[in-house]
Amino acid sequence: MNTEPSRMLPRRDLLAIATATGALAALPTFTASAAPQRPDASADDNSAYGASGSLNTLWWQAPADDSSMIEQGLPVGNGRLGALASNDPGHEVLLVTDATIWTGGLNGTLDSDGQFPYGREDFGSLTLLARLTVDIPDHDLGAVSGYRRTLDLDRGVVAASYVRSGVTYRREVFSSSPDDAIVLHFSQSGGGRYTGTVTLEGTHGEAAATSFGAKFANGLKYGAAVTAYGSGGRVTVHGSHIEFSGCKDLTVVVSGGSNYAPDAARGFRDPKLDPQKLARTKVRAAAEHSAATLLRTHVADYRAAFGTFGLSLGRSSDDQRALDTWERIQARHTTGDPDPELEAAYVQFGRYLMVSGSRGSLPMGLQGLWLDGNDPDWMGDYHTDINIQMNYWMADRVGLSSCFDAFTDYCVDQLSSWTDLTHRLFQDSRNRFRNSSGKVAGWTVAFSTNPYGGNGWWWHPAGNAWLSNSLWEHYEFTHSRTHLQKIYPLLKGACEFWEARLITTTLDNGKEVLVADHDWSPEHGPQDGKGNTYAQEVVWTLFGNYAAASAELKRDSAYAGTISGLRRRLYLPEVSPKSGWLEEWMSPDNLGETTHRHLSPLINLFPGDRIRPDGSTPKDIVDGATALLTARGMNSFGWANAWRSLCWARLKDSDKAYQLIVNNLRPSENGTNGTAFNLFDIYEVEQGRGIFQIEANFGTPAAVTEMLLYSRPGHLELLPALPDAWAESGSITGAGARGGFVVDLRWKNGKPTEAKIRSVGGRTTTVAYAGKTRTVTVKPGGSVTLKDFAR
Amino acid sequence: MRSSSYSVLPARVLRATVVLALAAGAVSAAPAVSAEATAPAAPAATTATSLAAKPYMGWSSWSMQSSKYPGLNPDGDYSYLTEANVTKQTDALASKLKKFGYEYVNIDAGWWRDNSWKPEYDQYGRQKADPKRFPSGMKAVADRIHSKGLKAGIYLPAGLEKEAYNDGKTPIWNADGCTTADIVYSDLRTTNGWDSSYKLDFSRPCTQKYIDSQAQLIAGWGYDFLKLDGVGPGSGKSGDQYDNVADVAAWNKAIPETGRAIHLELSWSLDIGHAADWKKYSQGWRIDTDVECYCNTLVSWENSVDDRWDDAPGWTDKAGPGGWNDLDSLDVGNGEMDGLTKAERQSYATLWAVAKSPLYTGDDLTKLDSYGLSLLTNKEVIALNQGSTPPARPITPSDAQQVWAAKNADGSYTVALFNLADKPSSVSANWATLGFTGKAAVRDLWNHENLGTYKDKVTQALPAHGSRLFTVTPHGSTLAFTGYEAEATANTLSGNAVVAACSACSDGKKVGNLYVGGKLTINDVVVAKAGTYQVKVAYVSGDARSARVSANGGGAVSHKFPSTGDWGTVGTVSVPVTLKAGSNTIIFDSGDSYAPDIDRIDVPKSS
Repeated sequence: MNTEPSRMLPRRDLLAIATATGALAALPTFTASAAPQRPDASADDNSAYGASGSLNTLWWQAPADDSSMIEQGLPVGNGRLGALASNDPGHEVLLVTDATIWTGGLNGTLDSDGQFPYGREDFGSLTLLARLTVDIPDHDLGAVSGYRRTLDLDRGVVAASYVRSGVTYRREVFSSSPDDAIVLHFSQSGGGRYTGTVTLEGTHGEAAATSFGAKFANGLKYGAAVTAYGSGGRVTVHGSHIEFSGCKDLTVVVSGGSNYAPDAARGFRDPKLDPQKLARTKVRAAAEHSAATLLRTHVADYRAAFGTFGLSLGRSSDDQRALDTWERIQARHTTGDPDPELEAAYVQFGRYLMVSGSRGSLPMGLQGLWLDGNDPDWMGDYHTDINIQMNYWMADRVGLSSCFDAFTDYCVDQLSSWTDLTHRLFQDSRNRFRNSSGKVAGWTVAFSTNPYGGNGWWWHPAGNAWLSNSLWEHYEFTHSRTHLQKIYPLLKGACEFWEARLITTTLDNGKEVLVADHDWSPEHGPQDGKGNTYAQEVVWTLFGNYAAASAELKRDSAYAGTISGLRRRLYLPEVSPKSGWLEEWMSPDNLGETTHRHLSPLINLFPGDRIRPDGSTPKDIVDGATALLTARGMNSFGWANAWRSLCWARLKDSDKAYQLIVNNLRPSENGTNGTAFNLFDIYEVEQGRGIFQIEANFGTPAAVTEMLLYSRPGHLELLPALPDAWAESGSITGAGARGGFVVDLRWKNGKPTEAKIRSVGGRTTTVAYAGKTRTVTVKPGGSVTLKDFAR
Repeated sequence: MRSSSYSVLPARVLRATVVLALAAGAVSAAPAVSAEATAPAAPAATTATSLAAKPYMGWSSWSMQSSKYPGLNPDGDYSYLTEANVTKQTDALASKLKKFGYEYVNIDAGWWRDNSWKPEYDQYGRQKADPKRFPSGMKAVADRIHSKGLKAGIYLPAGLEKEAYNDGKTPIWNADGCTTADIVYSDLRTTNGWDSSYKLDFSRPCTQKYIDSQAQLIAGWGYDFLKLDGVGPGSGKSGDQYDNVADVAAWNKAIPETGRAIHLELSWSLDIGHAADWKKYSQGWRIDTDVECYCNTLVSWENSVDDRWDDAPGWTDKAGPGGWNDLDSLDVGNGEMDGLTKAERQSYATLWAVAKSPLYTGDDLTKLDSYGLSLLTNKEVIALNQGSTPPARPITPSDAQQVWAAKNADGSYTVALFNLADKPSSVSANWATLGFTGKAAVRDLWNHENLGTYKDKVTQALPAHGSRLFTVTPHGSTLAFTGYEAEATANTLSGNAVVAACSACSDGKKVGNLYVGGKLTINDVVVAKAGTYQVKVAYVSGDARSARVSANGGGAVSHKFPSTGDWGTVGTVSVPVTLKAGSNTIIFDSGDSYAPDIDRIDVPKSS
């Protein structure tokens, strides 16, 4: 991630080289939709829509307030439309976001150093859509008792309850995908009444109103609307507010969005779409239904996505179970005792964020859908040198393959613009990363990207390869031919870029090899290194993936041959005779920070798997990678710990892999690195100032699954790095495996008891445990169950 | 006052100097009011104890005088203090608050000074009403207050004000041959918190006469209360020059001679080392700096309402009938003018109530908002403050979330929950920290509501800077504890830690020198069942100090132990420690700072 200030220097115009790459534009992200399919109320299994009260219900005993939303607000989202909710009895606040509310634009004029501007006006920033408040003056927090707040991960519902003068009041908040709106339902038992005010405000200077519409300087139109209805009292619009009095229950519905369209050809706008009008239509349509119906519809939809995966890491103690979620986080740290149910719930919380934040719109950037202001650090953007990739490492592994699509569609939709910018600007004479060959082809990106086809900050030549490899891995998990067809142009364009970029050099032993041109190993050391390990490894993987894609689609076989030829000539890193580490640069010397957060030179330990501790990789390379990982240390922050944990899982060091997960579960106090009250991962940018960075909320669960199940096409390994803390008994069900399988795995006393392997396209795979391997063949759609592993 | 009503700003110091020069030769033309003439109107003399049988309640002018809130001080700093404003507030107090027990109307600094802070004295060097502020004179103001059935309070700084010295030539009233030259030190050493007075030399026979003359004057006017300000040791000063114990003793002697019961309140940040003197000679003492912020509101949370949670604990056992720990004005009546959130106002009032501080507001009583009025007139909270229950003290460490409690004579407990963090948090009062186990009934005093019966603990969600106030009535049984002496030979001392004598400690010993790496490990703490135990820690700490507490090598939690007042007094708070069944170690680690001395711990026999 970028820790450097951006440089604001004069620009100059560049000649445009028109290019066009065919892209499959997805639907607009905020759009009129058909009437939702609603589950049949009469056929309800009541328990299916009531509070589950299971291990997947997180709970707390305090709300958030206006100044603590990012660490104490609870997130909701329908994949596009999200909010952080305070759940303060007397002052409910929702900070409402839409994934597309971005300032900025193409940002196609380089600064004088040949790099991209990186400001909120030029590059742009994700910002809030609206702020909704529901004030109930008689329910001041100081006057209620027994306050309790839950996040039911199984149903996707945030709730709060409390007692005021003997009456129990309850509210539920959820963001429904079928109704495309956020719903707040206030109810009570004991003869209580609600009296107060609903206020919807913009956050960009729009005055309070029951609906508003506005336009950014970049031309993006956005809008939102609210409505409310209740029973037993009065709900009336008073000027800019909705007032309610004497209501036995109250339902508030809010919706909104923008006229963003994921299509460069249309300038990323849908000129016909009026977001304010559409938002009003949506809240009116939802308000035709009771809160119970809206909830049922939401839960049915949410469950279909969320309910595909199960995880048990063992049983927690009664004392642990008696604690609220924040107390549990603190106790996990102070006692040092494993809390397997909390650790499993942390994984499910990550899945909740993904279902809530990545469906049918733009993918999740540095903060996903959840902001507490209009100036998120690093713009809340897409960082291409770990962050967006890490966000999606988890998706297939935890049964959320469909949530990956937002990432895929984003890359596909940006490609024509990325290609155009690469052709026009990459060879700018001021760009210190330009190709020495003088040629340019294909596409690449900078360290930051936005949803308008634009780049920010410095060029990141190898970013194209890493993005492409991530998209390819999704194919390995799913065997979706549709997906492969979508991403093929990205892979091919990235190969074309590298074909033009690689240069020939002669090693001391006289061998001629291909190396990457002058570049930076993210984000430290020299900026003019040639043959940096990161680029060599990621391009080596890219070329292999491309050849496989070409073969699978039976396209461009001649070109695939060319690429395979280049791949054979690629230099691959050596172990430094000085440090014993896998070299990060083509040098025996350590040219960067020993404990640097990035593990770029280990990219083929994880997420790639060129470096394997199974005898197939030369021992000195595995040892060098292990030594480098050891030197990087155990004490970093969120995403850096998660990546370390994944690498240790690949090395089958369960103690280290687990310790890094535990490190991320440390309670964040006053902005320190760790887990906040609401389980958001906090990165301490400076003492006393912690910021939310969502990657660790996904990277850490990915590490949990990687400790339980390793996969690469044709090979699975069960429990490769099972820590003692989870060994007694447990299960993981619905876990995606590369090679086109889904695995249900149970274990006891550290050993698998049963593994059910379902094919989603894969046919044959080896399945290993404790050095013993068996081969399984299964038809797509079929499954096989293995037992008797222990002997 | 914090720094000074005279010299809050450097400009003020400059001006006061000029005023001193101008006033040097001035002699008051107004006749002194005869004490004898008004004495019959005064009530029968009462003892000091009956005067402050409970914390006094009322109103003070200083908060509004000191504020930059728009419109309060249109004629310059501190100009709020006028006869018209006092009358207005008197009437508001009488009509809105008197029936709840508020009775004192206290005139603070400046009544003898004009708006440029130039003083007026009578021919005997005694403060005289500024005719512009108080055109009817101070007696008329007191009479007006009395006519509403209220009591009148007035203010004086300690020592002989420099401007009253008059080259030593001013005669002392009713003291033949004595002049101002005969009551101060020959070197004219200064005293009080702002060095605005010459120190009085009580070894000289004339000096008591000067105090007598001031006492007679205010008694003659009919005042029932005197705030003596700038008193040391305290008021930011220490050392012999600022030791005003003799001044206070002189007032204590002079007041009964007047035949009028006058409550003597001392200000500010009085030295706790002299608590016995303050208790002997006065009815109350400000334990802290001014609560006012000298800003655009009356107060602000950080400057300096929140300091009281740290500063009050050491004083707790000094309070009682006859003299109380004064936490300063209770400015909770109007949110906008106070500069506080609702939660902060409730916490402010809660601490004042449970610490048994006098309850005097500095608000504009004509503009109380409905929430402010509810805070100031909550009968259950006032009854708690005014009743016979003892002052509460922290029973948990002074962390962001903390619990204060007092055991009442009827077996119930007063329990206050505080969340001093800047964000909402739950706060729990564990019954184990109160010494019992099982169930207890909880009454919410602010909301006049029985919340029901709670087992083991009560937990509530508190807003940022919020509080709750309960009466807890146990229905369970007394908790049994196992004691472990810190100095026991079975324990491990690391770093500088040493066993030291301590007469107040159990078994006469403690472990001290817990600083910069000093560590006490209490070994072999045995419990039958695993769980989180509320471990009572008896400790000694002359100031608030933190220790990192852990068990069995687990993660340490830093806790701040409130001051016990001095290094000879033992205090107790309960710290949650998670123990396993069987033998445990509990560690108190100073880390890179200074930790309190540890006397002993008591571990509940059940978690």
